Amino acid sequence: MRQIGIVLGAAIVALLAGFAQTTGPAMLNDHAAARFLDQATWGPTPASIAQLQQMGITNWLNAQFALNTSDLPDQPILAADGKPNTDLAPVVAAFYQNAVNGQDQLRQRVAFALSEMWVVSAQSGVRQAYAFPPYWRVLRDNAFGNYRDIIQAVTLNPAMGRYLNMANNNKANPAKDTAANENYARELMQLFTLGLVQLNPDGSPVLGQNQIPVATFDPTVVPNMAKVLTGWTYPTASGATSQRDNPAYFFGQMYAVEHNHDTSQKTIFSNIVIPAGQTAEQDLASLLDALMQQNTMAPFVCTQLIQHLVTSNPSPGYVERVSNVFLNDGTGVSGNMQAVITAILTDPEARANDNPNMPVNPSFGHMREPVLFLANVLRGLNATVGAGNTINIYANLMGQNLFRAPSVFSYFSPQYRTENGLLGPEFQIYSTQTAADRADFVNAALYHTIDASTTISLAPFVQNATSTNALLDYISYAFLHNAMSPILMQQAGDAANAASGTLAQVQAALYVVLTSGEYQIMQ
Amino acid sequence: MFTRRGFIRIGAATVGSLALRPFGMLPAMAQNGPGYRALVCVFLFGGNDSNNSVIPMDDASYQAYQSLRAGLALTASDLTATVTSVSGAPYAFHAKLAEVASLFTSKELAVVANVGSLVQPLTRAQYQQSQAPIPLNLFSHADQQLQWQTSLAQGNGSTGWAGRAADYIASQGINSSGFPTFVSVNGNILLGTGVETQPVAVAPGQSLQLKGFNNAASAQARWEALNSLLTLDSGMSLVQAANNTMANSISDAKVLGAALAKATPLKTQFPKSNIAAQLQQVAQIIQVQADLGMSRQIFFCSLGGFDTHTNELNTHNLLYPQLSPALAAFYEATQELGMAQNVTTFTESDFSRTFQPTSGGGSDHAWGSHHFVLGGAVQGGQVFGTFPTFELGGPDDADVRGRWIPTTSVDQYGATLCSWFGIPNNALAAVFPNFANFGSQQLGFLG
Repeated sequence: MRQIGIVLGAAIVALLAGFAQTTGPAMLNDHAAARFLDQATWGPTPASIAQLQQMGITNWLNAQFALNTSDLPDQPILAADGKPNTDLAPVVAAFYQNAVNGQDQLRQRVAFALSEMWVVSAQSGVRQAYAFPPYWRVLRDNAFGNYRDIIQAVTLNPAMGRYLNMANNNKANPAKDTAANENYARELMQLFTLGLVQLNPDGSPVLGQNQIPVATFDPTVVPNMAKVLTGWTYPTASGATSQRDNPAYFFGQMYAVEHNHDTSQKTIFSNIVIPAGQTAEQDLASLLDALMQQNTMAPFVCTQLIQHLVTSNPSPGYVERVSNVFLNDGTGVSGNMQAVITAILTDPEARANDNPNMPVNPSFGHMREPVLFLANVLRGLNATVGAGNTINIYANLMGQNLFRAPSVFSYFSPQYRTENGLLGPEFQIYSTQTAADRADFVNAALYHTIDASTTISLAPFVQNATSTNALLDYISYAFLHNAMSPILMQQAGDAANAASGTLAQVQAALYVVLTSGEYQIMQ
Repeated sequence: MFTRRGFIRIGAATVGSLALRPFGMLPAMAQNGPGYRALVCVFLFGGNDSNNSVIPMDDASYQAYQSLRAGLALTASDLTATVTSVSGAPYAFHAKLAEVASLFTSKELAVVANVGSLVQPLTRAQYQQSQAPIPLNLFSHADQQLQWQTSLAQGNGSTGWAGRAADYIASQGINSSGFPTFVSVNGNILLGTGVETQPVAVAPGQSLQLKGFNNAASAQARWEALNSLLTLDSGMSLVQAANNTMANSISDAKVLGAALAKATPLKTQFPKSNIAAQLQQVAQIIQVQADLGMSRQIFFCSLGGFDTHTNELNTHNLLYPQLSPALAAFYEATQELGMAQNVTTFTESDFSRTFQPTSGGGSDHAWGSHHFVLGGAVQGGQVFGTFPTFELGGPDDADVRGRWIPTTSVDQYGATLCSWFGIPNNALAAVFPNFANFGSQQLGFLG
């Protein structure tokens, strides 16, 4: 039987010691460093904890903003049989290699969050595998740029052009009884920039007459927005002749074909008028200007980024502080992603529980989504991940097939609520089935094999298992920011003590910890 | 906090303290009510363009259809032979819905026309002049999907109508086991979330039973540890929510695993598709309903990819051949089980699509849509409700592109299903709060 009280007391002493003032700025203790890295990377490792402690948060962030090391490999356009190549396996395998081993961890996390907001999916529409590495690069390269650049780069990316049909979206043709395509027009507003309801900077809805939330646009705006976005076609494939309606091609940017552009005057959201007679490029520039003027974009975008990185239920104050940075980074620039990410990760609410004396708000934190859960387990278990890994099979079972979101609404909704009423977006894909699938992955990783090119190493855990207490302390350090709860320590310890042999004890304790609710939820 | 287990605990406490069954009518209901009944929802995600699923073939309608649908209009070779409804009206189905057409002809399938999310009956004039309440965030996928599930067009419903129906079943003790009334074979879905009850989700062909446990003492100790952690009450937290789901998974795995162990393979051959695998899993669970202790069940399946803004004709030619034979195989399986009269399958979808095509050979988000109801108890071979007038800017159009204002509400559709399922009239209002806005008028396609 473990002596919980004594261990806990010792842990608190150790944590407090970590805050001791040295000659320079206070060095982060293991708990605070690991917590920060859980929010900002695919998971802390002993090496990354030491690096962050040595650099401090500001320098670490600046170093991460400068890194851009993880690429996804370009894929052949055609498969060996001459048909379109739809095999995403090498791309998703590289994604997991990057997540586990790549140095540009924060860039990957932010780009991945953006990919869940600006969804392009191979599930429908874009089946060609070669479309995805260039699309990923758009998000990766702009992750620390300006949000306006993200809007523009994605809007003109041919994979998005295909997915939401802005490519070859032509002005109305009365002879064929067709109208401009509304798909990208609607989702650009609803999902990527404005949302459906006007928000105050703190994320609360703006209320109008009868306390009813004010819509960001009414249905008549959508056909007009569709007209604004007419007249763009796919890039011309190398060696091909450019046409007014190029066939699908996913390298490069879409370009304007004025013949297909609707030049009439259009009234869009906020009663903004796009004047008649503009070119497709001028209309797009006017639209981007108009979008960046919408203050509701700040809380709409920032809330989602906070939810992806830190907590599902941010307080209004947290959202407002980050929104204000989105609206003005201090130099008058809005949409500065570096400033926004810094604000999210260094906010007092994000950092509150770095201090172990602060009570944990039970609604704080968020569930690790499957890809994050897998990467976190693998990093914590010192995994070696080869190019032939099939880790994504597990993510798919858990409801998150990489680059194959079920729809433009992604894998889960930012508004999804748990049965106890809290926001819990990732819970949308946490079911009785996928909960079992997570535990079964832990079982495979610890007791069997993950796949032919993924191996883990339990050696550090075995080395640290000089006693049950020492083992549990090390697991707590590796996976729970040195803050494993007494009850989880108790249960994992009981399971370990019932096993014979150090390796079996390590496996048993890790199984109990990695399948626990306390680990699924990152706090 | 209401969890499935929490609810059952409350019930048990009542039994214990009063030494009475919770509701006196309970045994009578269980013994004298009709036999087993199941509802099976097949949700067509993305917004099925039902304008091309089933088409009225009277001359005026079909000519208007051909003219207005232009590049999307189906010609004779894309359609089944014309079938005649019980009332003598001619219809044709998309050629790739041949099995659906055949079930219509054999009077095992009905069409419900122009159903959609509504707060109350609505005319074009009322809509255009904002003279009556309308559904929240019309034409938005997420909102309209949820409104088909919540039957609360005003929006922001936190429970689904099938979940509320399951609450009623639980409150009456109609099922004799604690296994959930609502089973999804396609992940979490608001449709099945009740106030008091939570659904179970299983993936076709997969078990919920955790791998890696045997009778060894060490494995048993690990099992004990895992389960002990789930019994803790950590309050209104995300950890508690995660633990609830895992605890439900373990509990449901035990019940379902034991029941399915008694199942025998179905003779009915299901086609190879994801939707067919889902429906096959549903049929297998229905087969063991008695072992599960269930006399009322609701199932959820789905097929996605219907958001056909472009390339619609080809997309339907890929999707309908998955849907139609899977529905037919499932119906055949219920016949094999002797359950055809006891199981009713119905479709839902986000919305239908603009009658006017859009650039790129597709159609955009619209509103009222036509749906299929299938089963031995269905008044098949009939069209319930009314088709819209095919006129852009006409009396049924919300604007000028053929976004049909529904003439039948989701509430009426759902209430008709639930009434057959066993929700008495005096309980329907709790399941469908807006039903009274439609005169509590059911549609008559069942019983």
